[in-house]
Amino acid sequence: MTRFTNLTRRSFLGSGAVAFGAASLGWRPAHAQATVNFQLSWLHSVQFGGSYIAQSKGYWDEAGLSVSLSPGGPNAPVEPPVVSGTALMGISAADYTAAAVEQGAPFKILAVAMQNNPFAIASLAKNPVLEPKDLIGKKIGMAVANTPVLQALCTINDIDINGIEIVPTQYDAAPLVSGQVDCLLSWATDLPVAMTLQGVENETMLMADYGYAVHSQTYIATEDSLKNRRDELVALLKGEVRGWNDYYADTDAAAALTVEMFPDAGLDLPTQKLQAERQVPLMFSDLTQEQGFGWFTDDTIAANIQTLGLLGREVSADLWDRSLLEEVHG
Amino acid sequence: MARWLGLALAIVLWEILARLNAGSFVIAGPIAVADYIYMNTGLLGRALGATFQAAVWGFLWGNLAACCLACLVVLFPRTERVVNVFALLVFCLPLVATGPILRVLYGPGAGPQITLAALAVYYTSYLALLVGLRAVPQSWMDLVQSYGRGSVTTLLQIRLRASVPYLIAALQIGAPVAFLGAMVGEFTGAERGLGVLTLRAMRGLDVDATWAIASIATAVSVLAFQVFGRLGDWLQTDRPTLLLSAAQTKNGPAAWQRVLTAAAIALLVVVVWQVLMDVFGLNRFFAKRPADVWTYLISGSNATAARETLFAALGQTLWLTFPGYFAGLLLGAGLAAAVVILPGVAAAILPVAVALRSVPIITTAPLIVLALGRGSLGTITIVAVMIFFPTLVACLQGLRQTPGQVHELFQTYAASRLRLLRLAQIPAMLPAFFAAARMAVPAALLAATTTEWLATGTGIGNLMALTASTSDYNMLWSAVVVLALIAMVFYMAVEVVEQKVLAVYASEQVRR
Repeated sequence: MTRFTNLTRRSFLGSGAVAFGAASLGWRPAHAQATVNFQLSWLHSVQFGGSYIAQSKGYWDEAGLSVSLSPGGPNAPVEPPVVSGTALMGISAADYTAAAVEQGAPFKILAVAMQNNPFAIASLAKNPVLEPKDLIGKKIGMAVANTPVLQALCTINDIDINGIEIVPTQYDAAPLVSGQVDCLLSWATDLPVAMTLQGVENETMLMADYGYAVHSQTYIATEDSLKNRRDELVALLKGEVRGWNDYYADTDAAAALTVEMFPDAGLDLPTQKLQAERQVPLMFSDLTQEQGFGWFTDDTIAANIQTLGLLGREVSADLWDRSLLEEVHG
Repeated sequence: MARWLGLALAIVLWEILARLNAGSFVIAGPIAVADYIYMNTGLLGRALGATFQAAVWGFLWGNLAACCLACLVVLFPRTERVVNVFALLVFCLPLVATGPILRVLYGPGAGPQITLAALAVYYTSYLALLVGLRAVPQSWMDLVQSYGRGSVTTLLQIRLRASVPYLIAALQIGAPVAFLGAMVGEFTGAERGLGVLTLRAMRGLDVDATWAIASIATAVSVLAFQVFGRLGDWLQTDRPTLLLSAAQTKNGPAAWQRVLTAAAIALLVVVVWQVLMDVFGLNRFFAKRPADVWTYLISGSNATAARETLFAALGQTLWLTFPGYFAGLLLGAGLAAAVVILPGVAAAILPVAVALRSVPIITTAPLIVLALGRGSLGTITIVAVMIFFPTLVACLQGLRQTPGQVHELFQTYAASRLRLLRLAQIPAMLPAFFAAARMAVPAALLAATTTEWLATGTGIGNLMALTASTSDYNMLWSAVVVLALIAMVFYMAVEVVEQKVLAVYASEQVRR
């Protein structure tokens, strides 16, 4: 695949010359930039704590790489900038990546930050959902788009999804707290953390504990980049691994660094600390202790292929490419 | 006096509402909000600075574009069809489709926010300005012509002056919209701003913060609204003049001519779409071309299934859009009339109306849903709330266009206010009302799809939101095309009614 020329960068910052085609003023060839772009999947938070450590401790600088971390958002999907080459690497998830590949994007998964999928069922302590069969007869608040996720959980655990009432909600804990629903489909690391800090007693049931095996916070790049910008990708991943190892050693420090680096992001330290702590069991396992951060095996790939099949995504093991990771850890 | 009373009343009601819903985490009262703002002045100030800057640039660029387009159409009336179609189409583009494209084009920075703010305002301003530029008496035009001057002189000497009140109304409508556009633009991956903080606060279950941000956004919008209102009062010192123009009886172009024009414009749209995406080198993975949509919806092997999904969703959406549209128009026009009959009310109603329109919908949607449920009533209400405001402002301004001589005539006969409203003011308002009815068409569709995404999880809004996680950009662009076509048909239907009515009441608007 040919890479397209990059448009406008900082030359344009703050200037108003934007609307209605004026954008063409900012043409610039891609290789004129010394910095590589790393597209994160959401707004800045300790979710990407390891990357911030790599940035601030100069792990990428040491490898001769200047990295710019681009935040995501609700209308900032990761795939378009990575496909276009405006970002060298992006943070996605195996199900998103599989869907994109089905639509013709030439992506490979290079490493896996979240070994265990962060999806969980959050409920209030007084009306808890502790295992899948507790879902029966409950009202669950979630984005309708995530119905296949719930369906997969039900299939794996032999539960009839028709016994659960799906209520479309924004990604927000308020419907649960105000009693509109009995439980929520959310990440274990954000809405439950918010409830805990607001003094709302809650329970989370991690879906990964009940057979939902989908790699999350995966590192993706295009086949073209893998071939032609391999050194940069290896350097990028190396910095990531070092950063996340530091994160594991001291999550509080990672939280503090995040709050300090992004004073305008509206982050508060207690939330970031708790989130950082809850992320650890998702990202670090016996496997990563043994093989190193980001690792995956043929077995975990096989488990993923099976769950992805339940989500309606037919993929092969070719979606994953461990060669860069082997180089990083080797 | 009444203004302050209204404001105080609104604040008290707000606090009561918040107290009643304490513990529900969907609303915070003014006291909690004031406290949060006081404790986080620095953070909020920086975020406001970022969003405000983007909104101002977007506002300027959007209105500049609107002025250029409107002048172009007045100078070269033949371009009107084409300009109208493109203006409508661009306005119909949803954030899910434009977000990724803008971010890839601009990279980091405020580019997408500014562009989205500009896109949010230009359409309203364009339509309002066009009406204003045409609100001139035939006799003045004849005078210019008898001196042997052409359309440029007419534009500079007559039309621009006549358009000032309409421009002011457009700026008043545009100010809150630009601010919201800039906030929503931050959803495309911005580093800072009030939109970023809103997302953070909502996920953090921090209702005080959510409502503090909404309050700031509202205050800025109300302030901008007032400033432009004052500017309008200051600019318009002379009374509106009588626009005597003969009723139109001439028939329009023949049916075959219309069809030919429509086909030519459709072809042009397709070409421009393809060429723009190619010129900017946008990757086909997410920036679909006309041929992709054609294959996906018409000629491809899965086209039937795709169409079924799309049209089922479309049905759900339209079912909610139409009632919301009419409710919003009625509410806007009705309030405007009420304000004219009871002028004292105006001062109290207007700030509340502006406030309602300036609160970000993601903040209020949970509250409306809590009160009215996730059924059709909630959605229709949200749609109506989002479109009644431009109608109200446009109609109020239209009502004020009643010529002074007519006022005096009615006074001479000691006619009642109601009679004046019915026989003089409403006819004078009609051009502005129909302009509002036209600009509300795409706005209603956008409102309905947003609500579907936020609250109901149904319809085409949900279908489009879904594509973000499935990379199903074929479906996204197909939905965009279908929505744009619907908007176009709906718009033309309003236009047909408008032409019939205005040919009698304000023929200067329909003269070609």
